[in-house]
Amino acid sequence: MIVGLGILVATFFGKEVVKMVTDFTYIPVAGILVVLSITISTRFRSTGNHGKAWLLFLGIAISWFIAETIWVINELVYHQNPFPSSADAFYLLGYPFLFLFSIQYLKPFKKSISKKMIISTSIIAILVLIPNLYMTLHNNSSENKFTIMLGAIYPIADAIVLIPAMIGIVLFFRGEVNFLWTLLLIGILFEVIADTGFQYFTLDNSYYTGHPIDILFIWSYILFSFGIYNHIQIFKKKAKIKDPKNLFDNKLEN
Amino acid sequence: MNLDKEQLRKALVSLSVERTLLKIGEPVYEKVVKQLSKEYNCYLPDCYEHPEYLNKVLKKIFGDSYLSIVDAIKKELDDQLMEKPIETFICAISE
Repeated sequence: MIVGLGILVATFFGKEVVKMVTDFTYIPVAGILVVLSITISTRFRSTGNHGKAWLLFLGIAISWFIAETIWVINELVYHQNPFPSSADAFYLLGYPFLFLFSIQYLKPFKKSISKKMIISTSIIAILVLIPNLYMTLHNNSSENKFTIMLGAIYPIADAIVLIPAMIGIVLFFRGEVNFLWTLLLIGILFEVIADTGFQYFTLDNSYYTGHPIDILFIWSYILFSFGIYNHIQIFKKKAKIKDPKNLFDNKLEN
Repeated sequence: MNLDKEQLRKALVSLSVERTLLKIGEPVYEKVVKQLSKEYNCYLPDCYEHPEYLNKVLKKIFGDSYLSIVDAIKKELDDQLMEKPIETFICAISE
C-alpha cells in the first residue's frame, strides 16, 4: 500500500520524479527477495525436493534482480529506453526457474495431482491469455515486430507459471504451506495484469517507468517476499528435540 | 519374542516416515518432529502407537496433499504391508 501510494504521489511531481522513485523502489524490493531466497535456500541446504526447489527460486530472484538493475542503469545512467534491452533476457530467464521451482516443490505430491486438475488450470491459464493475444494480433502500433513479440512473451510465460501455482493452491488447501502458494498465485496474477497492461501501454506509446501498472509489478515482488518469509517462519530451525525413547540409541546403549 | 517384533516394527515405521520426510527436505522432517513434540508430546517412534498424531500434523502442514506423503510412507513399508499392525498404521494415517 505504502509503495503504491508513494508512486502515485510521485506522479504529481512529474514523470522524471516518478521514474526515479519507481526505479529506486525496484532495486531494494527485488533485493529483499534475493535475501529471503538465500535464507530459505540455506535453511533447506539443497536437501530433498524442496531443497532443490528453493535453489531454483534463488535463480528467479537473482535473475530478476539483475534485470531490474540493468533496467535502472539503462534508464538513469545511459538515458536509453530500457525496453527492449538485455534486461529482458534476465526477466525471461526467471520464468523457467519459476516453472521448475513449482515442479520440484510439487514433485513429492504428484500422486495428488489429477488430470482434471491439470486440464482445468490450463483452461484458466489460456483464458487469462486471451486479452493479450487479442491485443498483439489486432494492433496498429508503430513499434517494431520484435518489441511487440517480446512484450507478448511475458503474459504467455505468466500463464504457463500460473498452472502449477493454481495446482499448488488446490493441493495444499487447509495446510500451513498454502499461504506461500496463495501469495505466489496472487503475485503471478498481478504479473499477468501488469504484463498485459505493459504490452497495451507500450503499443499505445503511453508507458513510462512509474506508470500505475508498475505498482502491480512491485506488489508481486512484495507478495513473493511475504510468501517466502512465511515459509521461513514455518520451517525455521529450533533447538534440536532429543528423543529419550530413541530406539536406535537405546539399542546402542544396551 | 513378540515384544522384539513389535519393537522392530516400531523402528521400521519410524525409519520409513523419517526417510519419506527427508526426501522432501530436512527442515520438513524437523518441522514434523517439532510439531509432534509440541502438540502431542510425542516422538516419531511413538507414532506407531499413535498414528492419529502423525496424521493430524501432516494435515496441518500440507493440507489436503498429506495423502501423497502417506502413499510414499506406504511405498517405503512395501515389504511389511502384509503384516496386520503395519496395515492398521497405514489405515490410521490415511484417515
